[in-house]
Amino acid sequence: MTPFPFPAGRPALLRAAIAATLCCTAGTLHAQARQPAPAAPTTASQREQELQNRVEQLERRIGDLESSTVLSEPETSVKRVEVYVDENGVQYTEPGPGRTPQVTYQRERVFRRQTINEKLEEALDDAASRSVGVGVDAAIILQNVQQDTGPDAPADGNTYELASADIFFTAGLAQNTIFYADIVGLSGTPPDNEVGGLTLLNGYTARLVNQNELNLRESWVRTELANQRVGLTLGRVDLTNYFDHNAVANDETTQFLSDALVNNPMLGLSENGAGLAAVYDPKNGFSAKFGYQQSSSTAQNLSDSLFYLGEVSKLFTPFNLGEGTYRVWFRTDNSSGDDQSAYGVSLDQKLTAALTLFARYGQAENAGLDDDEFYSVGLQLKNGVVINPEDAWGVGFANTELGGGDAEDLLEGYYNLRLTQKMQLSFHLTHVTEKPLGVEEVSYLVPGVRFQASF
Amino acid sequence: MTFQRILTLSTIAGALAASPLMAQDHTQHAAGAAAATAGRPVKITDPSSVVLIVNRDSNDIGFMDIATHKMVGSVFLGNNVNPHMAMMSHDGRYVVTGGTRANKAYIIDVPTLTLVKEIPVGFAPEHLAFTPDGRYYYQGNPDDDSISVIDMVSMTEIKRIPGLNEPLNITFTPDGSKAYIGNYGAHWVGVVDVTRHELLKRIEIGQMSGVAKLDPERYLGEIKGVSNASMSNDGRYLYAADGDLNIVGVIDTRDDRVIKTIRVGKDPWRAYMSHDGKYAITVNNGDETISVIDTSKNEVVATLEGGPSMTGVNYAAGKAFVVSATSGFVYVYDMATLKPTGRIKIGVNLQLETATTDTADAKLYLASSTDHAIYVIDAASERFEKVTGVGLYPWGTHIMDSKDNYCH
Repeated sequence: MTPFPFPAGRPALLRAAIAATLCCTAGTLHAQARQPAPAAPTTASQREQELQNRVEQLERRIGDLESSTVLSEPETSVKRVEVYVDENGVQYTEPGPGRTPQVTYQRERVFRRQTINEKLEEALDDAASRSVGVGVDAAIILQNVQQDTGPDAPADGNTYELASADIFFTAGLAQNTIFYADIVGLSGTPPDNEVGGLTLLNGYTARLVNQNELNLRESWVRTELANQRVGLTLGRVDLTNYFDHNAVANDETTQFLSDALVNNPMLGLSENGAGLAAVYDPKNGFSAKFGYQQSSSTAQNLSDSLFYLGEVSKLFTPFNLGEGTYRVWFRTDNSSGDDQSAYGVSLDQKLTAALTLFARYGQAENAGLDDDEFYSVGLQLKNGVVINPEDAWGVGFANTELGGGDAEDLLEGYYNLRLTQKMQLSFHLTHVTEKPLGVEEVSYLVPGVRFQASF
Repeated sequence: MTFQRILTLSTIAGALAASPLMAQDHTQHAAGAAAATAGRPVKITDPSSVVLIVNRDSNDIGFMDIATHKMVGSVFLGNNVNPHMAMMSHDGRYVVTGGTRANKAYIIDVPTLTLVKEIPVGFAPEHLAFTPDGRYYYQGNPDDDSISVIDMVSMTEIKRIPGLNEPLNITFTPDGSKAYIGNYGAHWVGVVDVTRHELLKRIEIGQMSGVAKLDPERYLGEIKGVSNASMSNDGRYLYAADGDLNIVGVIDTRDDRVIKTIRVGKDPWRAYMSHDGKYAITVNNGDETISVIDTSKNEVVATLEGGPSMTGVNYAAGKAFVVSATSGFVYVYDMATLKPTGRIKIGVNLQLETATTDTADAKLYLASSTDHAIYVIDAASERFEKVTGVGLYPWGTHIMDSKDNYCH
């Protein structure tokens, strides 16, 4: 029982009465309260005062009893303590001559009264932190192709449907260290097989390895070092998640559907593979990244089809505009046998709270030919110019010119309607013009709908 | 500290019974407070010289000297009280706090560090505020959907204002005529007539879009409404963030209407006003960003990366310091360029709570609950000192007249 602090100035008689009261058990409280005080008060006012005090003490005792019910039992926890130990092993809480700092652990009891709800939440949170998290990202994309110009093409008038489901697993392994795996399955036919453009009209197609099969898309361990300024990711990775990023043109699940407005083709990564990504992020707007990744499923060793990438990026707020992130990257790879390099930039600049512009540029060496070139520009609008508060829409244009002479122009607009936190419906209209060298150009109008659910 | 304040405190400490306040018949507290403090030594002569520390597990309010970072003392409130927030009266005489698990309000005499009054209030009292004249203190009882009005003269609950929905923070107009109550269990701000202590009206911050109503799991499962209405420096506008609606509603206090809604990041906790009044920052825990609102244009002028579980913003030395509870970091932003400048690593395996800024805008006093410590951060150099032995599970701090006294 917590010792009761006797107020200064109280008569000894009263202190005795209080002590007697506090020593009582709950079952005898009433009886004790009715008993006369050890010495009779001499006046009515003193009696009244004593009774008043007694009532106060009983109320306090009831409070103590209430607070020590099952739910209110003192919590026991282990505390990390920094102490100072002298040569004799005596512990001190303060530093001093001859004392060396040490870290120890000790049990402590605290009076933290919790409700059943809080207890349950705590237990559930604890259980969740130890379990493997599972998430699903599913999408169904319907696209129709209407040929605009050029000789008759097999895709004209056809409709395509692709269904995709990603299953994610995450688990905390240690302090600032997580494991992540992404298993993807796709079924259906994207338009890209029949259109045969330089870039994919459906960004999901890049994930399609074999239909109706589950494939391991990513599987890596990530840890953070140096005060969490350095992040290391090692395993089967997708380096496009780390390099050539863009705030408004980087995600085929919620933004543009065309691959040319999701990635920079000059980056050259066609498949996920074994690799590493190192990110230095001091959280001051600057970041530097380095990574390597194998991008061939038929490679025989790690030296085959190996891409090295580096990137620096910086957050700016130029001309009193909103924030913009500017990135410059460089890569080299041996996928064609010889080392070839490429470089590119990716930027997104917020002009107002609603409007963000983006642009990409890239140039890549092409063995024996002129360099391949690519650029894309566009904008995204949200906040105030949308139907629902979390909707967004955008327009983008991409141009690809290969050193061999083939070229492509692509224009896409989309509106992403946020139905609920877990469901989105987006409408896309894409116009693509393919300009193969020496062949009449052909263009298509591709309306599409994407339904996406993540949970 | 003014001479007047020193004089007042020495008078209180030396001759409580003789003070004019004590002489009034209706001041029931006078007798109680005088009896409780009579003969006790004066431990604090300058209330602005201490930092209050709310210790949830040791169930006390600690008082730390700002100059030396040594504990002056602490006032134990009782087992299982679990205080949530503390505030000093404007004259520095009393500290009040609500015991969340005791369903009581507590009044502490500052000079003698004596608990002078326990007042039963509604369920789970948490956040609180004094009226500008210091006569009343409003104690929010979120589980009781009410506000307890405590008369600081009689030290009693004179009224309980019902009709609220999980009331959290309370903001008074500078003239003390109205109080604005953030209702976290709803999407409106309550307007209270302070003269009659009655709920006058409910100001709806925003409406959910029709399509969003398809998502009952989110909108009916757990409401993240309005935790606070933050006052502009001129006392005219309030900035009330709504967690579910991802907006900040700007309320004109002249006619109590929302003049604009500003879309910010996901799940904004509340708006924190910069000391010069130019900006309001919301911490958006849904997408781990902060939104910087230019109060002259009522527009978001920057959305910057933040950290997980952000609990508060402090301003000092031309910077904004954002506390990230679970990461062990305090994120720092330059308020001139509105860009991040880095982050301060306080430690690992820590649960950072909230901080207060000293009146010189030079140092932050950050409560860290799991290691039972206060971290004193020098805003200019961004170096910090760890102070231990302050009590168990410090939940928040408070400095008299600080512009960053808040709770979470």
